[in-house]
Amino acid sequence: MKRSKGGGDEEAPRQNGSASRRKADQQQSDGDEGGSDIGPADLQDDDNDQGLRREIRSKYRDLISSVQQNREDMLSPSNNKLTEVLEEANKLFKDVRQAREAALDAQLLVVATDLGKEKASQLFSEGTAFDPTAFAEHLLSFMGLNRLEDDEDEQQTTANGYLPQDAWHRLARRAECCFRTAPSFHYMMGSFYAEPPPPKQRIERQRKAPSKEAKRIMPTQLKKMEESQQEATEKEVERILGYLKSYYQDDPTSPISYYEFVIDPSSFSRTVENIFHTSFLIRDGLARMYLDEEKLPCIAPVEEGEVEAGGSTSRKQCILSISPKIWKELIDAFEIRDSIIRPPNTQND
Amino acid sequence: MTQRKRPSSTQSSSQRRHTGNLVAQDEDDDVAFTQPSTSQVQRGLEKLTPAQVDQKTAEVVQYFLVKDQKKMPVRRADLVKHVVKDYRNIYPEILKRAARTFDQVFGLKLVEIDPKNKMYILVNNLETPDKASPIRSPSNPKMGLLLAILSVIFMKGGVVRENLIWNTLKKLRVDPGEKHEEFGDVRKMVTDEFVRQRYLEYVRIPHTEPIEHEFRWGQRADAEVSKAKILEFMGELHEQDPKTWTQQYREAHSLPNSSQASTSSSSSSQR
Repeated sequence: MKRSKGGGDEEAPRQNGSASRRKADQQQSDGDEGGSDIGPADLQDDDNDQGLRREIRSKYRDLISSVQQNREDMLSPSNNKLTEVLEEANKLFKDVRQAREAALDAQLLVVATDLGKEKASQLFSEGTAFDPTAFAEHLLSFMGLNRLEDDEDEQQTTANGYLPQDAWHRLARRAECCFRTAPSFHYMMGSFYAEPPPPKQRIERQRKAPSKEAKRIMPTQLKKMEESQQEATEKEVERILGYLKSYYQDDPTSPISYYEFVIDPSSFSRTVENIFHTSFLIRDGLARMYLDEEKLPCIAPVEEGEVEAGGSTSRKQCILSISPKIWKELIDAFEIRDSIIRPPNTQND
Repeated sequence: MTQRKRPSSTQSSSQRRHTGNLVAQDEDDDVAFTQPSTSQVQRGLEKLTPAQVDQKTAEVVQYFLVKDQKKMPVRRADLVKHVVKDYRNIYPEILKRAARTFDQVFGLKLVEIDPKNKMYILVNNLETPDKASPIRSPSNPKMGLLLAILSVIFMKGGVVRENLIWNTLKKLRVDPGEKHEEFGDVRKMVTDEFVRQRYLEYVRIPHTEPIEHEFRWGQRADAEVSKAKILEFMGELHEQDPKTWTQQYREAHSLPNSSQASTSSSSSSQR
């Protein structure tokens, strides 16, 4: 029923304003049919139309974007891509019915004519045309591009290879011949500022002050925390030192066997503790271990005068290990019946 | 505050008519700078000792030299506000002496690249060497990139759409979308730094969607860069005689000093 569907004004479309004319026709036909705008037959047409409309609009948009994206390709005088686009547009235009599509057609026309203008200007320019792609290739060679030997892909427009580090510097030096740039002025020795250093010192001093206060606070807290644990060890170590000294004073001449000193025959764990605490005495230089004539370890307290004489030069380190089996063997070997170091009265663990 | 009153009190009626134009042009909104007349300059000079004038000239010279390190043009308004200050009534004389210093001492030329906005640059007054300088001074790779861009614009007639430049740069392994290891943010360098230095002009093309710009030679390029030398370089690259590009050849050799476009600063009073 709609006049627009018919053959009608197929020839006129090329002119401007034909789309609006056709729309006016549509409206007239609607008016002719009276009140009912949409009848069942019209709905069917509309559905098809909508799909077709969208398709047409999408094709137009594709054409426009292809012209914009491949602008340089189309500019090249070697091909007729622009003509092909225009022919494609002509075909599409036959199905254009509404203003939206026509607007897209107009947009395509703007883009295409712009391109056409540039192509035309290429034609009119005398002498050789300038091809930026070729220029880029030559420039790369000038800059020292190392092309790869095998060109796998012949279709590639860009060359393979890598540019040397000073590629752009080479070009810059060549540019010096074309530019009348004033050389930049710089003082030979630079300027000397006396300002910056003092602020830095102030910052440092300020930072030091808070840290001292922080340290002052820290120890008091720490002492409260760890006193219970450290105290026990220290006390124990002192106690053992006491034992060692008294034992030694009983008989200064006879050496004290290390094993007899540390081993507690009734408890392996206490033996290990004794070894642990004794090691502190040796570390602090309050006791010393040595091998007697039979190559057995002996321990003796260090006299007050001896501490500095020995110094750190004669200090050696060793690692002791003991297992319950060895402990028992030692007990048997040395016939240890009692422990020299009395077990501590209070159990701290 | 007395310095503000001084120009207006010594203004003649003809000067006041000029004031309107200059106020509109000058971007410095503190005090509109009005070009003092020759008689004003004479009177001003009489009140100052030669040493004072020399000192002020030296300050202007230093200001220019430091500004030139970054190749930024100098605006007259800035120059007057920051350096000339009280001596603005003898401004033309100071500028004249500064130009002479540049020429005789440094071999540089003070060029006004923008008569409307009163911007100046320094240009080398010595002849460009035919080959690269024998002095192995460190070269600035940005100049290489700039040469490539200016060449394309010139060979394409003086105006190109930005996409042509971006595509050409991509072929030279410089992608404006990525960070280049030598140039960093290429897009910013080309559209911002080169434009502020007046090597390039980056102008929006009206009615384009999405927004597109076009590139032209900037005012500094017009003053500094020799089109003839660029054409020579093209000839070397393409192994062609520069004359084969007839249009460009004509343009490059049309003026006797085809590379210098703007007036030298010695004689014009409208400075």
